[in-house]
Amino acid sequence: MIELAPHNKLGLALASPLIAGSGAVGYADAWPPGVTPDLFGAIITPPITWRPRRGLAAARLAEAPGGFVLTTGDHNPGYRRVLQDHDGAWRRLGVPVIVALAASTPEDWGRLAASLDEESGAAGLELQLPQIAHRNDAAAWIGAARRSSTLPLLVKLPTSRAVALASTCASAGADALVIGTAPMAAGLTPDGGLVEGPVAGPVAFPFTLYALRAVGALNLGVPLVAAGGITRPEDARACFAAGAVAVQVRSLAWLDPGAVRQLTREWDADERGTTRRVGLSALNSGR
Amino acid sequence: MLQTTATLIARATLGPAQEIVLHAPELARALAPGQAVLVKCGWGLDPYLRRTFYPVAIDDETWTVRVPPGGDWGHAWLRAAPVGTQIDCLGPVGVGYLVPPGVRNVLCVGVGEEAWSLLPVVALAEARGLSVALAMEARTARELIPPARLPAAVEYHAITADGGSTAGQWADLLAGLLGWADAAVTAAPLAFYSQLAAAVRGVRYDISRGFAQALYPATFLCGTGACQSCVADVAGGRRRVCLRGPVFDLADVVT
Ligand code: FES
Repeated sequence: MIELAPHNKLGLALASPLIAGSGAVGYADAWPPGVTPDLFGAIITPPITWRPRRGLAAARLAEAPGGFVLTTGDHNPGYRRVLQDHDGAWRRLGVPVIVALAASTPEDWGRLAASLDEESGAAGLELQLPQIAHRNDAAAWIGAARRSSTLPLLVKLPTSRAVALASTCASAGADALVIGTAPMAAGLTPDGGLVEGPVAGPVAFPFTLYALRAVGALNLGVPLVAAGGITRPEDARACFAAGAVAVQVRSLAWLDPGAVRQLTREWDADERGTTRRVGLSALNSGR
Repeated sequence: MLQTTATLIARATLGPAQEIVLHAPELARALAPGQAVLVKCGWGLDPYLRRTFYPVAIDDETWTVRVPPGGDWGHAWLRAAPVGTQIDCLGPVGVGYLVPPGVRNVLCVGVGEEAWSLLPVVALAEARGLSVALAMEARTARELIPPARLPAAVEYHAITADGGSTAGQWADLLAGLLGWADAAVTAAPLAFYSQLAAAVRGVRYDISRGFAQALYPATFLCGTGACQSCVADVAGGRRRVCLRGPVFDLADVVT
């Protein structure tokens, strides 16, 4: 087992270092063919907010070389509707469900964290910091969630600001850091429109790995989770070698679901135990 | 939904597009008219996104897609792929056309390249012994569905724009056909659906739910409802087309 929140009394133990990243399988209700809950150590929901958000009108998607730009405007039905529709299934899933919170206000994060703690089967929260987050803002947002909930808090950092924010986030109460949200980009749609959002897919991976290595070098003593553009076994291995204890996949599940199972098979076949030891030993040496 | 490897077994140039026949029996048997298939068009990371196709023929073990001309590099890869190429496919995506029970006369209305995706529903209705009429508009005669592609009993009405407006031709044609039809299915650019809805109201007084089904010509990233990239303002809200569609009641697309 991999412990994602070793300093939290609830803990967050994963049976696998593979996590379905935010929205990869929707609210655990959108399963690509061949992708099943048992492949994952945890599942992360799309980012939610207190009130429903209609999100952006089309177009939300544009292709980029080696990836794509996707922006939904945090489209979600709001926390009450999400729990009403999905919480029962989360409790029966057999895999921890981590609820992602969209960038919002400290008050919003505080009341969401409190409500999810009391009312849901969520095993943890992933707090998604905005691209332009300042250290003081990050501390206020995380502090509000920390004071309101005992649930393990994963804080997802923008890769472009990960080094600047990591220490503040750890001090403010993050149980683990997720590295991270890929940089902003603009993509052209086939009809000449523009979509602006974080770049996704394999093109994001170099940003993830760079930021992960830099944050790993800070030896903050909190588990690190890699996210962004991880599509091949060698990507995952590089992340474990850089200190990650777990990795998230998202676009892989959407575009090549068969490769998700293949990813886990490769670990099992040729590196059973090794990948996890690399990640955990790096973590332990940093404490 | 399935992920499967299809084999490209035949290709032909028809009008401005290429038609490609793909062999993958399991997926062919799962496909219904109006559902989409997501095709990986390339070996490596470029292009990374799958291309969305609405098959123009569905048989026991194969289905056929039309690859349009143009500069899209995924389509270019598919146009150049030799017979025998193994192609990764995901599908079927979404909800397709239904031929409601009790219907006898089916009107199919198509415009442009989208019209070709009506061919499987034409074949299905005809195979059930229904009377079928197809009305299609294209820019030029070269882009029309050739009559030889239709079952012999299908009544075919073709309109070509040739640079001019087709509104008058459509009004005359639909006034007759909509009175005859018990059900209508349509595939066209979105702008056409308002024109069609106005014609339906003119003949039938309203666009009562259940009379006409319209294909929302979306492209898809995941096809499972996870990515939220395919939203459209339809059916009274902002919906994921891959879950609620791509075939909707016409009333949901135009109101
Ligand atoms: S294509 Fe992903 S939600 Fe529809």
